[in-house]
Amino acid sequence: MTAVILIVAAFLVLLPFVYESRNLFILLTQIFVFSIFAMSYDLLLGFTGIVSFGHAMFFGIGAYSIGIFMKRFEPTLGYFLLAVLMTIALTAIVSFVVGLLTLRLKSHFYAMLTLSLSGLFLVLAEKWRSMTYGNDGFTFRVPEQFIDRTHFYWLCLFLMVAVFLLLKRFTNSPLGRVMQAIRENEQRTESLGYHVLHYKITASVVSGVLAGIAGVLYAVSLRFVNTSVFTMDITLDALLMTIIGGVGTLVGAIIGAGIIEFAHDWLTALAKEHAIFERWIIFFGIIYILVVMFFPKGIVGTLSSLSWKKKKQHAVKKEEKMAG
Amino acid sequence: MDLIINLTINGLATGMLIFLLAAGLTLIFGLMDVLNFAHGGLFAWGAYSGLWIYSQTGSFLAGIIGAILTGFILGIITERWIIKPVYGNHVQQILITLGLMLVLSEMLKVIWGPNQIMASPPDYLKGSWELGSIIIIKYRAFIILVGLFIFAAVQFVLKRTKIGLVVRAGVMNKEMVQSLGINIQKVFMFVFMMGAGMAALGGVLLGPYSGVIHAGMGMEFAILAFIVVVIGGMGNFKGSVLAAILVGLSGSFMAYYVPDLSLAVNMLLMAIVLIIRPQGLFGAKG
Amino acid sequence: MNKLLTLDQVETHIGQYHILQGVSFEVKKGEVTVLLGRNGAGKTTTLRTIMGLNQATKGTISFKGEAIQTLPTYTIAKRGIGYVPEDQGIFAGLTVEENMRVAIQTENEETAKRMEWILNLFPDLKKFWKKPGGLLSGGQKQMLAIARAYVNENELLLIDEPSKGLAPIVVEKVMESIIQMKDQTTIVLVEQNFMMASYIGDCFYIIDDGRTVSHGSMKQLKEDEEMKRKYLGIA
Repeated sequence: MTAVILIVAAFLVLLPFVYESRNLFILLTQIFVFSIFAMSYDLLLGFTGIVSFGHAMFFGIGAYSIGIFMKRFEPTLGYFLLAVLMTIALTAIVSFVVGLLTLRLKSHFYAMLTLSLSGLFLVLAEKWRSMTYGNDGFTFRVPEQFIDRTHFYWLCLFLMVAVFLLLKRFTNSPLGRVMQAIRENEQRTESLGYHVLHYKITASVVSGVLAGIAGVLYAVSLRFVNTSVFTMDITLDALLMTIIGGVGTLVGAIIGAGIIEFAHDWLTALAKEHAIFERWIIFFGIIYILVVMFFPKGIVGTLSSLSWKKKKQHAVKKEEKMAG
Repeated sequence: MDLIINLTINGLATGMLIFLLAAGLTLIFGLMDVLNFAHGGLFAWGAYSGLWIYSQTGSFLAGIIGAILTGFILGIITERWIIKPVYGNHVQQILITLGLMLVLSEMLKVIWGPNQIMASPPDYLKGSWELGSIIIIKYRAFIILVGLFIFAAVQFVLKRTKIGLVVRAGVMNKEMVQSLGINIQKVFMFVFMMGAGMAALGGVLLGPYSGVIHAGMGMEFAILAFIVVVIGGMGNFKGSVLAAILVGLSGSFMAYYVPDLSLAVNMLLMAIVLIIRPQGLFGAKG
Repeated sequence: MNKLLTLDQVETHIGQYHILQGVSFEVKKGEVTVLLGRNGAGKTTTLRTIMGLNQATKGTISFKGEAIQTLPTYTIAKRGIGYVPEDQGIFAGLTVEENMRVAIQTENEETAKRMEWILNLFPDLKKFWKKPGGLLSGGQKQMLAIARAYVNENELLLIDEPSKGLAPIVVEKVMESIIQMKDQTTIVLVEQNFMMASYIGDCFYIIDDGRTVSHGSMKQLKEDEEMKRKYLGIA
């Protein structure tokens, strides 16, 4: 598995040297950004069992932070870093407060509060015109280091891999193991003496901050930000990517991001030929429902449990042979 | 004074629409422990289908009945094929109902197009009554009356009929209800159907009130309904009507005085309730 | 044959725990069969498994000659089994009257007669007819639960520890009522209170570690000190 990932990563790193297609690189960059976003979602849903319906708000906070900093001040690396710090602070505070309010209650409450709170952020972005320019949003210049699309492509690729490795370590750490124990059986974990709420809030904060970073990268890649970053669609993207790719696997989130973004691109092109493809999301909605119902582990989970079964059969056969 | 009365009527009308949505949410939650994130989708479907029938037949009443029937049918389908297969698994339930919400709103756009659709009340509900200096817009009064009627009807069913009794008993102890020889699955189906019907009714009534309908309206109202359900206490029917009126009124007054903050105020209310009384403002559980 | 209920090597899992590992017994029509055994031996799970509230993973349960172990709870109840759970399962927010109305499956002369009879037996219920079930005392809740199970024409009543947590004088009252009902229906009783069990029971089964380990007539058990000490911890 690791070998496959390394080969794919190496291929993606080298790709710009052998192939030149601006559209493809923009698309791949988008996939890297959404992979980070979806992985942050997976940390919540897949590893801790928390359902958020307002993940867009962290994404949006990141996108607007960078946009406003670049627009109001100079588009330099210094202000860029300041905007990133601002994003981290804001997303950490918001996710901490939301977690504190709802994570001690039934799982419905977190989903509900995040949903309504992200609705509030959307309204805020629409109404606070002096800061956000309302619905239409605004364009901004980015630090010169990010102007070159290929450089930015590498940066996003690097960050995606870094976040992947970071979360891999995080979820395998003692802390991450407790989180997974919470997902499996919250009461038992509590009765083992773990303060479940602390772990859940930690997951909520880490996830919120990473989603904010994804938002920053997204806005920089577009050099534009508008209220769409706070809409339900963004949250739905994260949900579709994580669920279809496979929850609790991290790789699933990346694969899901790839599938959704490629399909989006492809189906949008098809929409010119038939209007039904403008509603491409409906297909994913149906697939999503079927996946939740029949393959709750998603693509990666289902495939790996299949191959695990095969391995087991293989092992049994081996034993039989040896016995014979 | 006139202004206050007008804002109050406005708030009550909005409150009643939210109530129609929240009533089903809270009953379904109380009985089945399912929070239906697709409820807003049923609301929007009620609006589209009802107004379509209204425009085809010219009869607003036919539109209302059509909307309610649409709600019933969608409710049965949702309960039977979407929610029943994942009973007992909270995370799966929450996820699947949101997926349904997505499909429902996209389907609306496929069938009726992605643009807003205009709506206006029938002639006999247009205009207003003047009582001295007070002007009461007929359609708003109509919404309030319908809301009160539905509240009374549901209250009657819950208190005076066998099925209502079973629903209340089911909220308290599902196992015991079954041990007494009652098929709780049928009760679930009934409650889901009724909840969906009320949501659809709310949707079709909203159309002429706001003048336009669009596919996103389901989500907008669902957010208000969630706030109401939390404030009123999850599973508490009476609490939901009081909370809906509270949210409707606060929305209407805030929209007049500080329009930008109206959602924020309701959110704040919800946050406070979550901190101090997660079981809801009104009464104990059950 | 006058066997009303038969359990044959019934096994039940709850989550990963193997609670019942082979419970077998027969209930004869018109008798009071008492299930005895230590706390956690599986008595309550046995009743819950009969009702279908826990799924039997192995074995058969037959009622009136038909297998019922795969039926849903409500069908089992409808076939004529009334159940009084350990916690009584009173609907706390409903009045006594409403509790009774939920229970009645079809209102007819027979249920009206039974209702009258049971209310005469428990005049307290009549007294608190319009009060919420949650406000009743422990004994009154027990009476309400028994009345609810009795009011339909059930051929079999499963009663789980009716004496639990009640004052001795109330236990006597409940015991008295069960004896009165004995003439009309068959009863399976789970009971820790040996005095009560031996007073109303006709025969007994002892469940230990999820298995039926011994049975006989109540008379035999009363004389068998060794058995009482071994499984019931009473000398």
